[in-house]
Amino acid sequence: MRKLAQLLQQGEVSSTEIVQNYLDRIAQEEGRINAFITVDKEGALAEAAASDARRKQGEPLSPWDGIPIAVKDNICTLGVRTTCGSRMLENYVPPFDAAVVTLLKRAGLPILGKTNLDEFAMGSSTEYSAFKAVRNPHDESRVPGGSSGGSAAAVAVGEAPWALGTDTGGSIRQPAAFCGVVGLKPTYGRVSRYGLVALAPSLDQIGPIARNVGDAAVLFSLIAGPDSRDATSSSQASFRLQLEDEPFPKGLKIGVPEEYFGEGLSSEVRQAVENALSQLEALGAVLVPISLETNVYAIDTYLTIAAAEASSSLARYDGVRYGMRVEAHDTNTMFEKTRGRGFGSEVKRRIMLGTYVLSASHYEAYYEQAQRVRTLINQEVQRAFEEVDLVITPTTPTTAFRIGEKRNSLEMYLSDLYTAMANLTGIPALSMPCGLDSQGLPIGLQIMGSHFQENVVFQVAYWLENALKGGSLSNG
Amino acid sequence: MGKYETVIGLEIHVALLTKSKFLCTCSTEFGAPPNSHCCPICLGLPGSLPIVNEKAVEYGVRAGLALNCQINSYSKFDRKNYFYPDLPKAYQITQEAFPLCGPGYVDYYYNGELTRTKINRIHLEEEAGKLVHSGESIVHSEYSLVDYNRAGIPLIEIVTAPDISHPEQARVFLEQLRLILDYVGVSDCKMEEGSLRCDANISLRPVGSQTMGTKVEIKNLNSFRALERALEYEVRRQEAVLKQQGQIGQETRTWDERSGKTFSMRSKADAPDYRYFPEPDLPPLELKKAWIEDIKDSLPELPLERLHRLMEQYGLSHYEASFFVNYPDFNEMLEETAAIFPNVKMITNWLMGDYSRLAREQGHISPKMMAGLLEIVDQEIISNNQGKDVLEEMFATGKAALTIVDEQGLRMVSDEDALQRVIGEVLAENESLVERFISGETRLFGFFIGQVMRKTQGKANPEVVNELLKTALNSRRI
Amino acid sequence: MIERAEVMRIAKLARLELNEDEIAQYQEDLTRFLESGAKLRQVDVSEVEGTSHVIEIRHPLRKDEVRESLSQAAATAGGPHVVNGYFRVPQILEGQE
Repeated sequence: MRKLAQLLQQGEVSSTEIVQNYLDRIAQEEGRINAFITVDKEGALAEAAASDARRKQGEPLSPWDGIPIAVKDNICTLGVRTTCGSRMLENYVPPFDAAVVTLLKRAGLPILGKTNLDEFAMGSSTEYSAFKAVRNPHDESRVPGGSSGGSAAAVAVGEAPWALGTDTGGSIRQPAAFCGVVGLKPTYGRVSRYGLVALAPSLDQIGPIARNVGDAAVLFSLIAGPDSRDATSSSQASFRLQLEDEPFPKGLKIGVPEEYFGEGLSSEVRQAVENALSQLEALGAVLVPISLETNVYAIDTYLTIAAAEASSSLARYDGVRYGMRVEAHDTNTMFEKTRGRGFGSEVKRRIMLGTYVLSASHYEAYYEQAQRVRTLINQEVQRAFEEVDLVITPTTPTTAFRIGEKRNSLEMYLSDLYTAMANLTGIPALSMPCGLDSQGLPIGLQIMGSHFQENVVFQVAYWLENALKGGSLSNG
Repeated sequence: MGKYETVIGLEIHVALLTKSKFLCTCSTEFGAPPNSHCCPICLGLPGSLPIVNEKAVEYGVRAGLALNCQINSYSKFDRKNYFYPDLPKAYQITQEAFPLCGPGYVDYYYNGELTRTKINRIHLEEEAGKLVHSGESIVHSEYSLVDYNRAGIPLIEIVTAPDISHPEQARVFLEQLRLILDYVGVSDCKMEEGSLRCDANISLRPVGSQTMGTKVEIKNLNSFRALERALEYEVRRQEAVLKQQGQIGQETRTWDERSGKTFSMRSKADAPDYRYFPEPDLPPLELKKAWIEDIKDSLPELPLERLHRLMEQYGLSHYEASFFVNYPDFNEMLEETAAIFPNVKMITNWLMGDYSRLAREQGHISPKMMAGLLEIVDQEIISNNQGKDVLEEMFATGKAALTIVDEQGLRMVSDEDALQRVIGEVLAENESLVERFISGETRLFGFFIGQVMRKTQGKANPEVVNELLKTALNSRRI
Repeated sequence: MIERAEVMRIAKLARLELNEDEIAQYQEDLTRFLESGAKLRQVDVSEVEGTSHVIEIRHPLRKDEVRESLSQAAATAGGPHVVNGYFRVPQILEGQE
């Protein structure tokens, strides 16, 4: 990206050329990848022209002015349809931009289009999009992961240089791992959620997906920072980091939790992550075996809380003010028919589950219990970060699975086994490629830091990326 | 079967007088075209997030302090989930587990006795939109129209303890509550416009019983009178059921103004399951003690304090003091006039008499003008009756009392020599009547007075005329 | 196994019209979820409060200032049935809230 920015600055290439190039790539690849729900060709080209005009005036909005981006379709874009991958919002056009979209526009980034996702971001394969399933560019018979499967696949196949995703239980990191790109779920509260269509507001975060660590850090710096429109947005300063200028932090303590290397982890994934860990040790890091016992509860805690919050957050889709409506003789029947037909089966499953755990007779045993276990998980993670600076784990137990392979929703939920903890505790977590398996599928490694420690996460990821590129341990 | 006693508790919703809504920056102004005071937040558009209006919190605290409530420096927001077309997000942001204010009380006079009703809690929440029905009532409408201008206006819900024991008391309490909230300026409390709404819980139990009877909730109480009538009806209904050994069903009933009856809306089995849970979009609310103290210091004199002060400071009766407590504008008039003209008894009589009609029609005149009028009446420059005419003229023209008196030559004649001359004339002109008076027809005295007043165009000081005439007639007797 | 009636009650609460297949499917899914979560309910949580906000944030309050609303046209642009600036809904039956 730095190179592209340099070319733009030197006038070697125009934003219009770059955008056109990506639009061509989209035209070429979309037939097999299905990464986009909406391609805003005219909008992107108009923004590119405006960017070129600014460059000519010598007034670019940022070093990245003119470099386009793709945005997940659960992030609101003024005047551009935002479907959340659902029939319910198939024709919904927001009258406002999400806070992050405003920031992208302020930096001069043309938006190529809106990327495909599991309906309302509920899923781990992007098969639950109401419109079409995204395919993994590394193997079209496989899923790209989800729910930000469209964004990850678009970046991996070169339809966009970078993209925004959203992550509630692993929805940035898991597809980043499956598609061989870098994705960050930031600290909760670091990126404004204003304009992000809620799944589970206490867990949701928007984050960058990019081809390498440096680009992800740049994109993160563009979207991070406080926002007065999001009451859960932290006042923590925006993010600035010159990765190249920072040496590897020698003596850095990296926690390796045994629970993440146990049953269910594929041996190839384990090997790749362990190789990466030895690279880091060689760079001067100290590996510390730790235990995160409560992770065994993470999936169920996450599912309970996410479903509860989703059942409430998705109640507004009732056919009155916007979106789809199925007519009926009375309002209540209209509600039931609209919601019964407007939502897909996974969304309805989670709404059912969330309604169940919140209903008066079950609240204490399920929802309240999960909230309290969440506290125990937090406490354990906090204790861990008193001992170590970072925690490194595999991002997913396996590499990308086949489309249609996971028929059972519970099996699908296990994809979030290693990722849900970061959402429950609000800590930043980054997934980066650390090799390929024997079938040539990317393997993801996850780096978790304590709250607001994205700089350390990026720094270590950057050095690891360099080390892996240096080659001896890379399988591919 | 013995007698029953009534147990009533109220849940009162009050719209707060902020300029912008509770969770967004749309105007709270009343009467705009439908859906013209709406934004992504109050329409519940996907991706929108709430931000709490500081003034709404301040007004909630202010109301709490005025109702002697404990103010919770830590409170939380929750979602109350239910589907209704006027509720944009299909959940209401409210405070269930940790309300803004804890226990408090209201003291007020009921049947001449100082009475206390306890408040259990006060919490903040958002208002829903407004439904306009195509037909006469909601269920008789083929369709309804939704306007979200009202959606998101800040409300406080005040929940009383169940310690009101009579329908009339419930009304008196609610009137006092309205007055208090009006005094502290947090709401205009108009029941007709819906800025004050009240639901009532009522149960009966045998006198002396410690256990509560089955509770019935009554909704759709649109006026103070409706509250009292509905409760009276419900007392009779429940009594009749109990006397026939029947069971009161736990249910929600609605008041029908026209028939003067309550009707069952839903039974307990159909009670909604609101699935409350902590609002993830809003962190807990932590209030600084100093901020709460500042609000406390800014509270004005409250109705009960004022009542007692007016009685003590000015020697007003309970009845008079209540008048001024109930009409703060009249009280202001009273106190400001009294600062210029100290005869409070006289001010009170005037303000509660002719003045009150004129002021209600046309608004108040200045205390200085009022004092001006009372002074010249008090100094007998004009008579009491003339004063009333002058007051009308003051309202009509805005002129000072003395100006009107001079322009119209209304100055009362108290000069004894002049009046003696007039009396002499009158008696001379009516010799035969004077004879009759002397021979015992004393009722003719009034006739002579009237003649004197006529000759002086009503300006004669009636008291002086009275004295002089008596003397003159008496002297003729001898 | 969760009872069918319970599934129906939940669907009513959530305003979801479900067909027979879906009812059966969710009956099974809910049951399975609750079974798999059984270990969660064994955890001793008596010593802790629940977490609803994972980052401690001072609640930011907003000044009471009116800003421009959407126009009526923009506010109702997405409405499935709009009449004279109102959102129209079919008959509302008693006690449905």
